[in-house]
Amino acid sequence: MSLPTMKPLTYAGLITAILLIAVSLYAVEDIPAFGDENSAVNKYIKLFNVNADGLVEDLNAGVLPAEIKNKIEKMGFIKGPTCEGCQDENYPTLEEGNYEIKWIEKGSLEGGRMSEGGWDVLIKEGEIYYNEFQQYYFIKESDGNLTVYRYNWPVRVMEKTEEETFMINAVTSGLADYRGYDTMGEETVILTGAIGVILLLRRRGRL
Amino acid sequence: MTPVRKTYKRNVIIEVTTNLMFPLILLFGLYVMIGTGGTGGGFQGGTILASAYILYITVFGHEKGREKMPESVNALFKSLGLFLYNGAGWICVLFSLATAQWLNMPAFWPVTDFVGVAGARSFLVGYMVSVGIGLTVMAAFVSQYFDLAWKEDDEMEGGEE
Repeated sequence: MSLPTMKPLTYAGLITAILLIAVSLYAVEDIPAFGDENSAVNKYIKLFNVNADGLVEDLNAGVLPAEIKNKIEKMGFIKGPTCEGCQDENYPTLEEGNYEIKWIEKGSLEGGRMSEGGWDVLIKEGEIYYNEFQQYYFIKESDGNLTVYRYNWPVRVMEKTEEETFMINAVTSGLADYRGYDTMGEETVILTGAIGVILLLRRRGRL
Repeated sequence: MTPVRKTYKRNVIIEVTTNLMFPLILLFGLYVMIGTGGTGGGFQGGTILASAYILYITVFGHEKGREKMPESVNALFKSLGLFLYNGAGWICVLFSLATAQWLNMPAFWPVTDFVGVAGARSFLVGYMVSVGIGLTVMAAFVSQYFDLAWKEDDEMEGGEE
């Protein structure tokens, strides 16, 4: 049995298809798993840097230094209004006894997240949502500086949409960018529905 | 036996109103479809565009409506919308070679050279993605309405092939 002869154009199409498949495989390789808590997008948000002089001992003793606490509260992560007549923010307060500081070894899985080595600031609140200590802030030491991160909560899209997608409308960036694959499927469903109606109802000679 | 075609009684008020409103509804549909910076969106804009054609077909019949929206244009719009949407995402995959989001592109050459990253993203989201969605939705709805109108017409002719 001999293979059917192929035209040169068919070879070109085959090579193009193979190249495109290779490129898409290469791109897919880099995609973090959906909902992976350790991917850069989902992990945490960087807040600020402070000088580490004398603060490491405080952290090891389980006390949040006043400098870091003041800076966090200055950024608006407080309970109550941030300005006159503003809406109340609902971030947990950093009062004594309300939090706990814990050193996390590098590579340990704490709360489902792979740690990079640093201090976790765990927060306990008297609400039903915080009935045990929750990972809230993360402090990492590098080059004599302490970098303070906040663990990612579902508000990330609201906070970062302008910076990450350059859109002024968070709903549009959610529809077309963050959930773009979802919208692609919806559009495909509509097209498939129209094709199904054509196949079922349309007769010959109606085009 | 000659098939008895159902003749509709003409209503001048409805026909004149439809003729007047048809371009205005199309314009409003375009405004909603492209205005993604505000309250608009592709799905809603496409539905409004389709509603203009559906109104026209309802009033004037599918034979006159087919002149407004030929089947070739309809089929072209249906697939072109999906190609536009998927092409926008595919371009971003190719240019960034890694994508966790749909339009994740650090540098979208050559548009970014002229208008910057923000303008390029606004163009992609506001025009390519939204217009793609809108075209597909409009063409799909109009096509389904044509199919139903033709089916009703065939049944009135007594199942004639």
